[in-house]
Amino acid sequence: MSQSLRPYLTAVRYSLEAALTLTNFSSQEVERHNRPEIEVPNTSAELLLQPMHIARSETEQVLIEPSVNSVRISLMVKQADEIEQILVHKFTIFLEQRAEAFHILRRVPIKGYSISFLITNKHTESMKTGKLVDFIIEFMEEVDKEISEMKLFLNARARFVANEYLGEFVY
Amino acid sequence: MAETNWRRIDIDAFDPESGRLTRKDIEPPYSSQITSQEVSSKISQLRSLASSGDSKAAVALAVSDPPYSGDEATKNEYFKAVLETLSTVRQADIAGIVGDLTPVQQDALVKYLYKGMSVPEGQRQGGILLAWFERVTQVAGVRPVSHFINDRNTV
Repeated sequence: MSQSLRPYLTAVRYSLEAALTLTNFSSQEVERHNRPEIEVPNTSAELLLQPMHIARSETEQVLIEPSVNSVRISLMVKQADEIEQILVHKFTIFLEQRAEAFHILRRVPIKGYSISFLITNKHTESMKTGKLVDFIIEFMEEVDKEISEMKLFLNARARFVANEYLGEFVY
Repeated sequence: MAETNWRRIDIDAFDPESGRLTRKDIEPPYSSQITSQEVSSKISQLRSLASSGDSKAAVALAVSDPPYSGDEATKNEYFKAVLETLSTVRQADIAGIVGDLTPVQQDALVKYLYKGMSVPEGQRQGGILLAWFERVTQVAGVRPVSHFINDRNTV
């Protein structure tokens, strides 16, 4: 792991550990409803806690928004050029279309971020909190690796195709 | 009145005892509001400490008694000075400085680190802020982070 990635992931890990102390909390607005307070337009400011921004650079950030019964985690994946932008977009769309399989994945990222997760008290009751944190951290590690690998693969393939195709015209 | 849909009027919003709280209601009450003069004198003190090379005293001063009661402009001005102070400290000195802070000062430091990472000025120096953050968590663990989440005193 590179030298600057480690403090970034440590910061995310500690922030998540602090944020993932969720409790079952019925809605104060609607009777017999129990909804993630971070996601609904809220008239009770006491239910939302301080949002945490963790930034490695301007293009690589995490936003963690805690509330009494849910935490929303949004990642901004590093996108250095247009190819990476396309790859990140395709990759996150692919995952989001299969959001049920991931339980905590949000179908739509919040504005300005590449991918969002929503963890509610249901998740922390049925899964181990430590493992949820590990999953997010591992995802952050893997997604960068995945994107750069795909970019290399794409470039190699493009070069091969261009060679084959344009080779026809060389005399 | 006929054109407004009166069934949809939120009557609880007009009731002062409805128990609804806005962001302003949950701010802690301050006995006195800090003025921009007091803050600017502290900032100049910070600058002179930082320029004399005494980074330890500068950081300790920066994170003790932050201007919680000030308005946004005052807070921002002070925050910029703190960010400047934090970024002048050498990487090797960070651990020693953080170790000597009191728990309350560590909490304030974490508030400034999170604030720094939420604005573009700080994001450009993300590496430095993250190095500070790592040292704080090595010394104090998760405590300052959970204090940050729950504390309504913002910097």
